[in-house]
Amino acid sequence: MTISGTRVLRGAIGVAGLLVAAELALRAGHVTLLPLVSTVLARAAELTVDGEFLGAAASTLASWALGLALTVAVGIPIGLLLGAMPRVEAAVRPLIEFLRPIPSVALIPLAILVFAEQLHLRAAIIIYASCWPVLINTIYGLKDVDPVARETLRSFGFGPLAVLVRVSLPSAAPFIATGVRMAASVAIVLAVTVELVAGGTDGVGVYILKAGGGGRTDLMIAATVLTGLFGLLVNLALVAAERKVFRWRHAR
Amino acid sequence: MGHTFLVFVASVITLTACSGSDTSSPTNSNGPEKTTLKVGVLPIPDSAPIQIAIDKGFFKQEGLSVQLSIEEGSAKALPKVVSGSLDVSLANYVSTFSLQQSGLGKFKIIADSFQAAPDTFVIMVGKDSPIKTPAGLAGKKIAVNTLNNVGTLAVTQTLKVSGVTVNPSQFAPMPLPDMAAALKNGTVDAAWMSEPFISINQKQGAQKLVDTMAGPTADFPVAGWGVSEDFAAKNPKTVAAFQRALAKAQQLASTDRKVVEAALPKYSKIDAATAAVITLGKYPTTLNEARLQRVADLMTELGYLKGHFDVKPLIATSAAAG
Repeated sequence: MTISGTRVLRGAIGVAGLLVAAELALRAGHVTLLPLVSTVLARAAELTVDGEFLGAAASTLASWALGLALTVAVGIPIGLLLGAMPRVEAAVRPLIEFLRPIPSVALIPLAILVFAEQLHLRAAIIIYASCWPVLINTIYGLKDVDPVARETLRSFGFGPLAVLVRVSLPSAAPFIATGVRMAASVAIVLAVTVELVAGGTDGVGVYILKAGGGGRTDLMIAATVLTGLFGLLVNLALVAAERKVFRWRHAR
Repeated sequence: MGHTFLVFVASVITLTACSGSDTSSPTNSNGPEKTTLKVGVLPIPDSAPIQIAIDKGFFKQEGLSVQLSIEEGSAKALPKVVSGSLDVSLANYVSTFSLQQSGLGKFKIIADSFQAAPDTFVIMVGKDSPIKTPAGLAGKKIAVNTLNNVGTLAVTQTLKVSGVTVNPSQFAPMPLPDMAAALKNGTVDAAWMSEPFISINQKQGAQKLVDTMAGPTADFPVAGWGVSEDFAAKNPKTVAAFQRALAKAQQLASTDRKVVEAALPKYSKIDAATAAVITLGKYPTTLNEARLQRVADLMTELGYLKGHFDVKPLIATSAAAG
């Protein structure tokens, strides 16, 4: 408790120090053309009660949640299958390694031509980018299962499904959870990026486009800061959840 | 973990349910075939008439309901017209003609929207720039919002008049809001800007070097409203209704600056003080084939289009307005 308290305090000092330094540099005129830190923070605070921005945030949140949910729903089962079948995994691995480094952003112009529905376009781009950490972590999590435990259960006459549910899945779960947490962050990045690049009727990225069109750098940065804060909160929440669920793993 | 998963599942179900309620429109024999339109706009003054038509109820009078979708640029919005995710979009002519010739889509321009006026598209330089004349831009880096588009076309033609041949590698693409910093840092030597960025940068000390919409590019047509050829063929009454509504808005925009100033902050985040001082282009009330052919001819001359490009097949004559 005290250790984590000190850590939080140190982190807060680091952030505050950076903000104060940026504010002073801007006020002294070393960096011009950017709005003051205090201006941006004030705008960000205003945005948290601004109906238009909240509507935009709700839309982004919806595509993020849908994209992440589908990523989990697709990534984990495929990862389990590939993890359980090393020969199949060896066959599809080159394909995975080919697709994985392709930047989602580069696929957006193509996706615009394919998807007529805004939400489908956004979800597709999010899934493409965020499925890799889930998939890869699930495969590795399954490979890491203690063979003795697995064989023991097998020698007692348990079928493959029972071995999966009783040994493999619990053992791989922490890996999978880490993959999901990484995917959650990637999904936020892509949720806003796809809006910035492909536009749309609403969304935080669309709000930033509108602010940009009017030359409102303060609003652009304020919306960006809030997106970052949301990402921070999601990560903190998922880390806390992992700690709680996999207490036995962190106790070591 | 289990609980989180349940939340995910719940959100998927909710979202799928929401997206199911689509915008199908009841057809009545005399009214428009499609009554709910998704229209792509850019958050720049070019799009103002559509906001005016919404605010003044002109679309409603024609039985149309218009939902705006904010786009990053015409080059990304026009493919959405092809895919059907947009019914209509603000379409800059250079993008439209290029995409049409490349075969990416078949488009129809159903109305004009924006035409350059003096000082609406200029090359700006920094406060203490040593560049004093257009000829001084030879070999210099020039920021533009998009490559191979209106900006590069206008800059190339303007400098050609000054005896300078621009090499395409001189152009640095970047978003308009970034140009002020790029000028200041010296990343670029000059920047091609439109409003409100001309006014904003002037306030910070940047200077106008040359108007790129003068001489051979004076009154240059910039953007209109585009649909796919397919959409125009299937929805002639919708197109006519859209044209009638928009014509009223173009009329207002071309005669009353205040109406444009009031519309701008609704689809961009421009502040009222800036909106009041920016230089506005012209909002033409008719779609003129000869004017648009000028754009295509200049594109051919500068190598943006291969050979002669006839704009006539792209123009959807406004049946009711004429």
